[in-house]
This record gives sequence, structure tokens and C-alpha cells, in this order.
Amino acid sequence: MPREATLRKYSEPVGTAVPAFGGGDPPFPPKARAPVVSNARLAILMFIAAELMFFAGLIGAFIVFKLAAPLWPPAFQPRLPVEVTGVNTAILLASGVAMHLAMRASKRREPRAALVRWLTIAALLGIVFLLVQGYEWVRLIGYGLTLSSGVYGGTFYTLIGCHGAHVLGAVTWLGLVLARARSHRHELSAETVDLCGIYWTFVVALWPALYALVYL
Amino acid sequence: MKTRIVFQAAFAAAVWAVSGAAQACPVCINGAGGEKLLDAFNWSVLFLMAMPYTIVFAVIGFFVYAYRRAEKKQRAEESAVMSPAHDLS
Repeated sequence: MPREATLRKYSEPVGTAVPAFGGGDPPFPPKARAPVVSNARLAILMFIAAELMFFAGLIGAFIVFKLAAPLWPPAFQPRLPVEVTGVNTAILLASGVAMHLAMRASKRREPRAALVRWLTIAALLGIVFLLVQGYEWVRLIGYGLTLSSGVYGGTFYTLIGCHGAHVLGAVTWLGLVLARARSHRHELSAETVDLCGIYWTFVVALWPALYALVYL
Repeated sequence: MKTRIVFQAAFAAAVWAVSGAAQACPVCINGAGGEKLLDAFNWSVLFLMAMPYTIVFAVIGFFVYAYRRAEKKQRAEESAVMSPAHDLS
């Protein structure tokens, strides 16, 4: 091989040499691959991770107060409504199931009516949960358990109140998605329902842990 | 300038002389609460220590699952395109 040809051969970057002659079909052009996880989904995951750490901080503080107290709940403090909140837990879990069915209906491109039905059920159950929580809070305040009545009241209202605020946010978001689903003027992508559903699932899944920790 | 420095030094000395010993170390949990408080702090620290690892491993697990699912879907699509059932010639 002449010297120039040898130099040219070894100076070419690997894999870029195109044969001047040869048979066969041209190679397939590289196919652009869709991202495995979309940016919006990644964002909601990061947001939920941050939310989990926020709640972990509150739970950590609650654990210290609960385990260090000689008597929990403290004496002369009203007892929390375990049974009613247990039923309320079931209501919230049922709303989680309804949301899951809505996500499935959206993914399978079922008729819009099915999606609207499941989203409405999920939203209504979420609102019922909030109303029952609000009613119980009013009763507890009436019995003297307030934010400033001691560590018991302070930790209870902070932890459960933060969760309640998150449920309220999730219900608002769900309401917006539902309004969009009901409106025939807008297209509703499966991802829009999915993102709301992921957040709703987080809020629902967190509650049994809080219930077991605070109420039982 | 000199007067200001002298005044500040005198003020700091006065504060130091008047104030008592502060015993507010946030990690001195052995003395005040006893064994129960110590246990409570230990459980809380353990929980808070475990949470970031749990979250990170859960997120990694989700990525692995999503990647494998996408691979499987892509392979299924490719095999559907290559299969003779789609050959209309």
C-alpha cells in the first residue's frame, strides 16, 4: 500500500469511513428514540421526592415528641376521632382507585364520558374527605385542642394540616383537569391526566401512613 | 473610629460579664430527657436518614422499570414491522 493511502486509512475516525464500492442496501438511518421518561413526568417525580422529604421532616419531629412523651396522647387532651377518620381513610383510598381507573381510561383512549365519570368520582371523594376532616377539626377545636394548646395539638395540626393542604391542592388540580375533560373545545392528553393522577396517588398513599402514626 | 472600637469592645465586655452560662446545646439529649428521649431521637434520626436513600432507590428503580418497558415496547414494534404478516407483496 502506498504511504499516502496508509496514512489516510489510519487518520480517518473509526466508523466514519464510507466504502466507495459495495453492494447491499444502504444502512437504516438511525431512528430517533422517544425519551423513556418525559420531562413533565420527571418534574413531578422530583417534586414528589421533595414533598416526601418535607413530610419526612414533620414525621421525624412527631416521632420525637410522641416517643419521648411519658403519656401519649397527653392527659387532659381530647382524643382523636379514630373511627370517623378510619372511614375517611377508606373514602380517600376509594378516590385513589377512581383516579387509577380514570388514568386507565385515558391511556386506553376510552370514550371521554368514562374519563369524566372517574375523575368526577375521584374529585367528589376528595372533597368529602376534606369536609369530614374540616368537621372533625372544628369539633376538636371546640374540645380545646388548638395549635397552641401544647405539643400534641401543635404537631397534630401541623402534620395533618399540611396533608390537608396538599389534598386541597390536588383537588384543585383535579378540578382543572376535570373541567378540561368536560370541555369539548380542548384536547386532553393522557399525560395531563397521568401527571394529576401521580400527584393524587402520592397524596392518597401518604395518608394511611399519617393516619397510623398520628391517630393509632 | 477609635472611639467606636472602644465603645464596641466595652459593650461586648459588658454583655459577656452580665450574661450567664448558656446551656442550650441542641444535641445534649443525654442529660435532660433520659433514656426515653434518647430513644425517640434515635428513631427519628434513623427514619430521617433512611428516607433519602429510600427515595433515591425508588426513583432509580422507576427509571430501570421505565427503560426496560420502553425497550420491550420497541422490540415488539420492530418485530411487528419485520413479521411476514405485514408483508403485502
